[in-house]
Amino acid sequence: MSRRRTADVIIVGASLSAAAVAKRLVDAGYETIALERFPLPRNKPCSGIISPRGHRFLIENFGPLPKEVLHDPTACRGVTFYFPGGVDLPMDFDGGTTPHLNRTYSDYWAIKRSGVTVHDNLRFHSAVDHGTHVDVIARNHDDGEQHYRARYVIGADGPNSQVVRGLYPGYRDAIAWFTVKQHLHEIIDCPLDPEYFHFWFHPGLGFYTWSHQRSGRQIVGVGYEAGTDLAERHARTLTYLEERHGVRLGPCDLRETSVNNFGLSLINRYVFGRGNILVTGQAAGFLNMIAEGMSAALHSGAIAGEAAIEAFRGNRPVQEIYRSMIASEVRRCSDQWNIMKILFGRPHEADFMGTLAKRSMREKMIVLKDTAKFLAPWGRFSWGRQMLWQAVRRVMTGDYDPRRWK
Amino acid sequence: MQTRFKPQPIAIQAPGPGVIPPCNVASDSLIGIPRQQTNPCRWQGEGWQSFVTDLVNRGIAVDERRSARTLYQSDAGGIAHGLPHGVVVARSTEVVAGILAAAQQHRVPVTVRGGGLTTEGETVSFGGLQLDMRGMSRVLEIDASKLTVRCEAGIYWHSLAESLRRQGLDYLSAPLNMTSSVGGTLGVGGIDINSPRLGCSADQALALTIVTPTGEILRCSENENPWWFNRVLLGYGQFGIITEATLRIRPFTPITMHYFYYQDLKQAMEDLVMVSEEDAADYMGILTMLDRAVNLLVAFDSEEREKEFFRKWRPRLRGFGEARFALTLGMHYLLRPWKFREALYLLNRKRTLLPALKPSHHLRDNRIVDRTVVFSQAVWKFWGGRQMVIPDLATSRGKFIEAVLRGNEVCRKYFPHYTLYCVGIKLIGPKERYELSCIPPDAEDIAYGCEFEPMLEGKTYSRDHIQAFKNEIYDIGVQMGTSYYRFGGMMKGYIRRVFGDELVDKHLAMKREVDPAMILNRDVIF
Repeated sequence: MSRRRTADVIIVGASLSAAAVAKRLVDAGYETIALERFPLPRNKPCSGIISPRGHRFLIENFGPLPKEVLHDPTACRGVTFYFPGGVDLPMDFDGGTTPHLNRTYSDYWAIKRSGVTVHDNLRFHSAVDHGTHVDVIARNHDDGEQHYRARYVIGADGPNSQVVRGLYPGYRDAIAWFTVKQHLHEIIDCPLDPEYFHFWFHPGLGFYTWSHQRSGRQIVGVGYEAGTDLAERHARTLTYLEERHGVRLGPCDLRETSVNNFGLSLINRYVFGRGNILVTGQAAGFLNMIAEGMSAALHSGAIAGEAAIEAFRGNRPVQEIYRSMIASEVRRCSDQWNIMKILFGRPHEADFMGTLAKRSMREKMIVLKDTAKFLAPWGRFSWGRQMLWQAVRRVMTGDYDPRRWK
Repeated sequence: MQTRFKPQPIAIQAPGPGVIPPCNVASDSLIGIPRQQTNPCRWQGEGWQSFVTDLVNRGIAVDERRSARTLYQSDAGGIAHGLPHGVVVARSTEVVAGILAAAQQHRVPVTVRGGGLTTEGETVSFGGLQLDMRGMSRVLEIDASKLTVRCEAGIYWHSLAESLRRQGLDYLSAPLNMTSSVGGTLGVGGIDINSPRLGCSADQALALTIVTPTGEILRCSENENPWWFNRVLLGYGQFGIITEATLRIRPFTPITMHYFYYQDLKQAMEDLVMVSEEDAADYMGILTMLDRAVNLLVAFDSEEREKEFFRKWRPRLRGFGEARFALTLGMHYLLRPWKFREALYLLNRKRTLLPALKPSHHLRDNRIVDRTVVFSQAVWKFWGGRQMVIPDLATSRGKFIEAVLRGNEVCRKYFPHYTLYCVGIKLIGPKERYELSCIPPDAEDIAYGCEFEPMLEGKTYSRDHIQAFKNEIYDIGVQMGTSYYRFGGMMKGYIRRVFGDELVDKHLAMKREVDPAMILNRDVIF
């Protein structure tokens, strides 16, 4: 057995969320170790379009972004929604353009800038919470074990979180999983504006169908329920793009896939851990509208770090502090899916309702009809009633119900 | 054919102190909000050991125990957390000079702290040395004939007031929270309800002993080393450490206080501006409960001034006395029964707060004999909390009312209960002193400030929630071209937005000249 390493906090993961946790803890002088299963920098499939709020967090905490951590084009001006009835709604992001992150390098840059000690090539295996401390076992690729002991453990290891699996054994089977595949194609002719992220509200294509340009290639991405034949949906999308928009693409030369725990932020079913083990970022269920998880990951990660600091300083239960603090991020994230907020508030960082309001009544009706059609296949998840009730409760009490969190 | 992507390591280069790398995203990214790293990276300790050895050789002991260092982990704002590598409690000007000379040589950041009442992490050390000035807290000389006091810079205002009181003397203007240190206050301003008449605390300074960032000890005043004098006052600790200060003082007088109540925030502010501009009272300010019970307070040193006020100015004020205000407010809530929670909150505040502002044990013949108790203790008991969250806007007269009304809307959006504190600041110093400071460039004669303070009421809010609230207040400053009293640390990104690159770069060049290694209060302004 290897010698046991001790630290104040062990972070599981080395993504943006982990970097945000680390930033808070390292600044405050706590000995912190991040465990990452792959050697850094590791490959990370992601669209890379972060919200302006996330951009601001990155700058304020890690500094302006070097060009090495950005894709080409380096920026995204806004998002365009396409509806099958023929309506296009281009919207600029509030506050200006936002970065097109190369997640492989942006995550590496952020975790390095945090100053945390990273033990990479080491997979989290298990954690035992003894109340006064947590013992962690991690394994390298030769199955050699590393032992750690820390006051707190923070799971920031993404949608397929090993920490969540360990804490809630039945959880994986209890939620919906979505596969997202993005294919990079050679461009023959692409009239889609390269400065925008393009999203289709088309039930025949996928739950999450988008396209944007990267490094001289056009990404075509499709997301659907895990287990679906995405190759067929992808081919359908290519045909649709050519017929509807005149997009002509060459063969795909890179495919990237990720599996996501989608839906938890819609119905306020977040997972924040137990005892001295916290869960944050997408592992906790944070995912913004159009599947942008980075800004919520950064902010929730920072909150987890701050909760640990408050717990250290005040000798208070870390879960209690974390759950109290995280309410603000829950509001921000779940508000994006809250019908009341969408209709009467301004939860997103692009003005959907304002843009729609400028269109003719005919176009508004098309958008309404197409949105209803787009949402119909989602009915199988039985989220509608839960979303509505959470929306009403939010109006009545100002908050989402914390009793629904695990 | 598909390629298999294999990531290669990239160089992670940190920019030097004061350097803002270019924005590689786009020229227009993040319109109106900062593009600067405001939560600095922890200094990694290069040269720390040789620095400590150097200090030991100079007879200065550095406390590197974790238990000592964690005492300085945060400031009154409670949002920024850092940890110094070591701590020195300053005992003399020579010790401070030795520290800065060695720090400059070894390029070790030094963060100075007095009362630690900053709210944006300005006195929090992200590595390096924490210099605690509270070891220099003596009153050195009181000259009753010239009405001056000379004291060490680490002394708290309430201790200074205590010493002066024994000799029938009093300070002029001090910050509202009297556990601020004198040195720290002179570096940022120091504003209370005296300030509409007497200016900020920094303007009461007659002479200073300072240590420059390279470790040189200088005496300075308007006549001696005036450049240093005007750079260190309101200089946010960038150009030197104040170790001793000679301040103007005055004979002690008990004061008479009067309150006028408004339901309309705008009316109250208009009346505050009138009272300030007309010099109608000796002390004046606004404290509110939400924006529903707005209290304009005025106070007087003499009966003559009080009588004059009631004869000439009271008829022009639109505020009510307590009884009439209670009646109108009662009517307001009777017609709006769904707001009963707000009414109960106000009632409870009135029941607990008003007696504290007129404590019988500090009243003699209905005059307050210890204003430090009333203004410091009582105000902070009822408006402050363990965690100070007080973003502010400092404006010219023309922008004051709009800025406060907009800030008030932000408060309503973020917190159920809050208070506003508005006050004027008489500009009595030379204009160059006010450059790149809390005094807005377009203010003439009197500037106005408003603090927006949520009542946290024991709840735990995330830093993001509090920061989002503060940013929304600060954004008003960017949009309207105001300044801020809380000026640096985590909100320093706003400094370039408000003052422009040219002015900030001018001060950065001056800073680099006097502090080549950029060691003194490194991440506060630049």
